[in-house]
Amino acid sequence: MSLALATLIYEWRRYLAAVIALAFSGLLILAQVGMFTGIVQAATATIDRSRAEIMVLPAKSESLINSGSNGLPRRLAPEMYLHPEVVQVASLDGSGGRWMNTPEAGEKQVTQWIQLDIVDPIPGAVTLPVDYPEEVRIALLEPFAAVIDRSAQARLGVTLNDKATINGKTVTIRAFLDGYPSINQPSVVVSRDTLRLLGMADVGEKVGPLMVQIKDPARAIQVRNDLNAVADGRYRAWTRQELAQANEGALMKEQIIGIMLGFSVFLGFLIGVGITSQTLRGAIMANIKEFASLRALGVSMGALRLIVLELSFWVGIVGLAATAVFTFLVSLLAKSAGLPMGFPIGWVIGVAILLLVISLASGLMSLGVLKKSQPADLLR
Amino acid sequence: MTSAPHRDDAIRATGLSKRFKTGRSYIEVLKSVDFDARHGDLTMVMGPSGSGKSTLVACLSGLLRPDEGQVQALDQDLWGLRTGKIDRFRLDHCGFIFQGFNLFSALTAVEQVTTVLKHTGLSKREARDRAVVSLEEVGLGHRLNQRPSELSGGEKQRVAIARALAKAPRLLFADEPTSALDGENGQIVIKLLQRAAKEHGAAVICVTHDPRLEAYADRIIHIEDGAILDDRRVTSGAHPAPHSHLIEA
Repeated sequence: MSLALATLIYEWRRYLAAVIALAFSGLLILAQVGMFTGIVQAATATIDRSRAEIMVLPAKSESLINSGSNGLPRRLAPEMYLHPEVVQVASLDGSGGRWMNTPEAGEKQVTQWIQLDIVDPIPGAVTLPVDYPEEVRIALLEPFAAVIDRSAQARLGVTLNDKATINGKTVTIRAFLDGYPSINQPSVVVSRDTLRLLGMADVGEKVGPLMVQIKDPARAIQVRNDLNAVADGRYRAWTRQELAQANEGALMKEQIIGIMLGFSVFLGFLIGVGITSQTLRGAIMANIKEFASLRALGVSMGALRLIVLELSFWVGIVGLAATAVFTFLVSLLAKSAGLPMGFPIGWVIGVAILLLVISLASGLMSLGVLKKSQPADLLR
Repeated sequence: MTSAPHRDDAIRATGLSKRFKTGRSYIEVLKSVDFDARHGDLTMVMGPSGSGKSTLVACLSGLLRPDEGQVQALDQDLWGLRTGKIDRFRLDHCGFIFQGFNLFSALTAVEQVTTVLKHTGLSKREARDRAVVSLEEVGLGHRLNQRPSELSGGEKQRVAIARALAKAPRLLFADEPTSALDGENGQIVIKLLQRAAKEHGAAVICVTHDPRLEAYADRIIHIEDGAILDDRRVTSGAHPAPHSHLIEA
């Protein structure tokens, strides 16, 4: 075992502050990324868990976040069936609306903007998420029936069989969903027919993105390519995974979120380098006589610098492990509070690199202390 | 106050001066000192604290550049070398034993020794083998895997000696090596230094103010106020081991 690693293990208490500083730097960034990704995933959960292997969007749409919506000509849906492997096509409809509960005695009035999502409550429908329980599907068959995630009851001020209004029209809560929480706008699910009854369905010449089910999900990429080959600039087909990634990426590019994350990265870097370099300096100072005795025995300054850099590298690795543990715990906590988190691999790798850069930068900053390892000082 | 050049000379210094600045005035710690030491000799430098004996050793061993004077060590002009070469010279030829033991608390006895050996270009295996031999030689064959916290003061100093001797140095510098030890351990340590001189032919230069050690010296040099007071040989001269014996510990 190398001197650096042995020292880190044996004197771990000395390095704890640095490891925790690194872990919190990593957590600061990952928790926000996790939260924002969780918001995106919650907003698109109905699509992500549907049978649609392929989504068709307007040609210039880059994701469903702030660029999706109704942009496809209505006549496009039947055209998809020209591809022999396409089984089912349905347009994604939905809307936003003002929600008001009907408070009973002792309850508060809740007014809230909601996102209205639709499914077709038909067995095997392309818009029906695969994890919807059968009783939810049956409940949605009833006109003016609505379902919400179990965790949204308090925010929406309703419970089972309560009535509420959406844009002034009354709906009834007939079932609860599990696993569809959202900390952004709460989402309310109704059937396509109920949306029409509410007067909020698309009736114009343009419709929302198309959800396309194909015979063999494994051939999604091939079918996407086939569809795009004949698109002629009228639309663009995406595989579901592609679109999910684009959605996550699009939210991170939102200006305010980008600024928040950028600031967090900057702050994490400053805090990480500040604490880690000070900790390393202290730890080196504590061993300065030992380093000086190595200098006396002829070990070069360059070799001592390498030892310090190796030490900072290992501190970074341990900090990374601590980040993983902390982030996992925070995500468990968040999940239990109804806030799912998501961790795109690109961000995880980015944060891992950042932490190693922080620890190595700290190592570089603490190299100056080695100048104090004057072997002549030992001769006094 | 050097003797005439001798074929066994390991180190010869002439006109060494060193001044330190304290406040506005300078203190002259070494006043044009001449010094020499031979292979196979345990040369003891004695004197009260502040007499300049540690500074002398620092100048002789390439740790502290003298203001004036020359050091001829193993036929090289030590202070004429570049800093990197001086490091290399110490790595190849010099061993040090300090009053404090300066062992890394995280490393076992054998790791203390191999950490230095690895920098001399030995493979891991060679370094370990040599470290074990060296620790056995100082009587710590049974304590190879103990950390400093599990060793007594005497054992720690023996690890430090093994660390210095494992490189088979031709120059061995010891600064008050026994002052942190009790009488019995002090005796063990000085006997090990004596053996380094007699069996390995190293030139051992030991700074001390412990009069009990005088009995083991081949030569005793008294220094006071930065100048050598007297230089007397107590044995009949050095009997270095053959040079082939020098390096392999």
